[in-house]
Amino acid sequence: MTGRERRIGVYVCHCGGNISDHVDIDQVVAAAQAETGVVVARQMMFACSDSGQGDMERDIKEQHLDGLVVASCSPKLHVVTFRGVAKRAGLNPYEYTQVNVREQASWIHSDDEQSTTDKAISLVKAGIARTRLSEPLEPLVVETTQKTLVVGGGVAGLRAAIGLADIGLGVFLVERAAELGGWVGRFDEMYPTGKNGRALIASLITEVRRRPAISVFTGAELVSKSGSFGNYRVGIRIGGSTPETLSVEVGSIIVATGFETYQPEVGEFGYGIEGVVTLPEFKEAIDHSSGPLMYHGTPVRNVVYVYCVGSRQSADTPAANAYCSRYCCAATVAASVQLASRDAQVHQYHLYRDMRTYGKFELMYTESRKLGSVYLKFADDAPPAVARDDSGRLVVTVRDLLTGGEELAIAADLVVLVTGMIPRKNEELVSVLKLPLGTDGFFNEIHPKLRPVETVVDGVYIAGTCQGPRNSSESVASGLAAVTQSAVILKKGFAELDPLVAVVDADACTACGLCLDACPYGAIEMTLGEGKSVAIISETGCKGCGGCVPVCPDNAIDLRGYTDAQISAMIDSLLEVPVA
Amino acid sequence: MTAQVDTGLLSDLQRFGAADVSACFSCGTCTATCPLVTDDATFPRRMIRYAQVGLRDKLLSSKELWTCYACSECSETCPTQAEPSEFMAAARRYAIANYDRTGLARTMYTRPFVGTFIAVALAAFFALFMYAGHGPQSVGSLNIFGFIPEELIHNLGIGVMVLVFLAGLAGVATMAHGLGRAGGITWRSVAGGRPALRRSLGALWGALAVESLGQRRYRADCDTDAARLPWFRRRWFLHAGTMWGFLGLLAATILDYGLAVVGIKATGTPVPIWYPVRLLGTVSGLLLVYGASMLILQRFRAAERSVRHSTAADWTFLALVWITGVTGFAIEIALYLPSAPAWGYWLFLFHVAVAMELVLLAPFMKFAHAVYRPVALFFLALAQVRPGESSGAADA
Repeated sequence: MTGRERRIGVYVCHCGGNISDHVDIDQVVAAAQAETGVVVARQMMFACSDSGQGDMERDIKEQHLDGLVVASCSPKLHVVTFRGVAKRAGLNPYEYTQVNVREQASWIHSDDEQSTTDKAISLVKAGIARTRLSEPLEPLVVETTQKTLVVGGGVAGLRAAIGLADIGLGVFLVERAAELGGWVGRFDEMYPTGKNGRALIASLITEVRRRPAISVFTGAELVSKSGSFGNYRVGIRIGGSTPETLSVEVGSIIVATGFETYQPEVGEFGYGIEGVVTLPEFKEAIDHSSGPLMYHGTPVRNVVYVYCVGSRQSADTPAANAYCSRYCCAATVAASVQLASRDAQVHQYHLYRDMRTYGKFELMYTESRKLGSVYLKFADDAPPAVARDDSGRLVVTVRDLLTGGEELAIAADLVVLVTGMIPRKNEELVSVLKLPLGTDGFFNEIHPKLRPVETVVDGVYIAGTCQGPRNSSESVASGLAAVTQSAVILKKGFAELDPLVAVVDADACTACGLCLDACPYGAIEMTLGEGKSVAIISETGCKGCGGCVPVCPDNAIDLRGYTDAQISAMIDSLLEVPVA
Repeated sequence: MTAQVDTGLLSDLQRFGAADVSACFSCGTCTATCPLVTDDATFPRRMIRYAQVGLRDKLLSSKELWTCYACSECSETCPTQAEPSEFMAAARRYAIANYDRTGLARTMYTRPFVGTFIAVALAAFFALFMYAGHGPQSVGSLNIFGFIPEELIHNLGIGVMVLVFLAGLAGVATMAHGLGRAGGITWRSVAGGRPALRRSLGALWGALAVESLGQRRYRADCDTDAARLPWFRRRWFLHAGTMWGFLGLLAATILDYGLAVVGIKATGTPVPIWYPVRLLGTVSGLLLVYGASMLILQRFRAAERSVRHSTAADWTFLALVWITGVTGFAIEIALYLPSAPAWGYWLFLFHVAVAMELVLLAPFMKFAHAVYRPVALFFLALAQVRPGESSGAADA
């Protein structure tokens, strides 16, 4: 098949019994040994252990191997590990193939050892067939633009912009509203320290203005994005009487577009009745008053809070919000403390499902109880009812689980529906950035623990409440995490990308354009080449998904690392061994 | 039925004590700790919950308020220092104030200065009233009834007793009505037919004899100080001694009067120490003075958790009991001194005035527990032996 005489090493891992309990490793090694081009075939207790890696490195050097196959677990776990082994031993990392005989053989066919062994042998032979045709590849190196676009001028976006400027990156800060500040800019006292939200935002804006590296656009929106990671070209439409669109180059994008609050339906827990308000409405009312709270000219003596309105909804609710909004328990408890500490006569009843005042906020919960707040727990299937009775009084009825399920009627001057956060309607931004949404409608990170602000779109980061409900300090923390991730890719001045991308054979291409539609990343463009149009795939835009390869009627596209020739060889090899 | 929440209940209750109870988050450690809790009576958590949520009627119709002997074990184990034991005491004060319809009990509890003034003024009134009808202070031997006529004391006493009886009856009726409704107990289930009557008599025996006079559970279950103190310093004994002493003195007084009525011995005739009625009086008096003195001392030193919080109401009650007992003994001494000392006459006037006051104020102060607790224990005993169950089956 190829003129090159190969020297391949094959290593079959026991995985400490995970594989060897159900696969006869000796048979697999013997079969590998017999394959053309294989000069070393060995078994290992743990291929990923230091000694396993050391043995492979020594073989590669001493036997002058030019191909490496490890038959062990899923590539998700160890492809990077064994590419590292190759690299350290002087072998091109892309000459390495990982064969998964654990998840694909021993773990799932533990009932029949010979069939399992046969399958493992087939898989290993296919891996060897692919490796015979492997080519050395080098990572793609791209220069990066030392600028970041921040979308959203709330607390997370403002803090991120300052952080980016301070590490020497240029910043374009785009805010859709006419003013910077977002939600926090509307708040007075904020938990848990009682700091004033407006004052916090004012100080952040002062810091932003002080930094010439930050260009602020208010009343502006992101309308287009092209190019790829490290070198995006984005269009910013600036509104006003004569809207204009500005085009700028950035290396990364931080999305911090915030949240909207849940708006109850009319009739949902009495919403629509006079005296029934949402948490943001209540917060605004206490922030804009002093002394005892007044509602429509009368003092508020009894307040009833109904928690989890629009949150943790059961699956049978239409368009249910199944998630906990996380910040609302603490925000409500803080608001009740704020009210009680300036009006000792107020009576406050909190009707909750579970109090989630986690961490330090637990202290506020204790304080609120000391200030007279009463907490009543209702069952998930017996929510409270809010109505006006015959005499016109606003009454909340609830069964308190802690009072033996007694049905209680509480006369209220004000009922506060504790509403949570919902994702902002941002369809245009989603389609421009191709951001993935989670099932809850918020933007999704790659890994909630280890890659908490990165998205599947390289160089596009998410921060703050556009990612999910959280409080302002958590939003700021994620904003700064996005700053760090931007620095990681931009501060070196260049970035290395996986070379496993699709390439077009310009001679074979007939410019039919089918691949343009197949590419989910918009990485393919039709370009006028020497005398004819050809499809050109951006090496930095391509994610190596292979979606364009099968649609090409002229077989003009090949995916590096998974070429047509390699895939055909693997299929041929698999067909050689009859499956029992 | 939907219960209306009384938003002012907790703050009203806190005027009777229990300032810390809002720290309670209903964990139930107190109930788990309490040695007296049974399936038929769970507290203090449930009582605290009623108070926090604002269920006034539920709280006032809870027999559990009175099945607690305030050992304070719950306050020891409470994770939020909500002082459940102190709450129970405050709730009992609140209940006494609510069973009383005159408002006097509420004033005595919530306005200590006014309450103390009423106590002093009432004693002064009784003293002046009796002094208005006084005779000569003979100097040979102490003739106390020559100074204050026995007839006057007797009639005044009868008047006071009638008032107290009516006030007490009204309070008990209010309480029993609430407890009966809460426990689903009707006249029929108490007195309708022989089995019901037998059950009721059994409950009455248990409530009055075994629990109230015998102090069975106070002694056996609430013995939190048993390991540290000798029997004569334990709470149950001090309480029982004071109670038995009071009842003994009451019995001696009635017997003395009875002996005079049947003509065996005129009231006030000197008799030797072994004379049965006098012996009963002396022994009872000793018990009363010992018990009350020790209880005062304990409260003063606040060494035990159970007496760490003392209210004006606690002090007033103990003070009146103690003064009555000690002045009684002083008169006893004066009676046997060779020549009648003038202070003996004045002390006698003081003694009678304070005793009258103690009785008259009983329904409006801590003393009222002597009636309300047995009523609650009767309902508890009824709940424990339900229709169709014999006591043997309940034990099995």
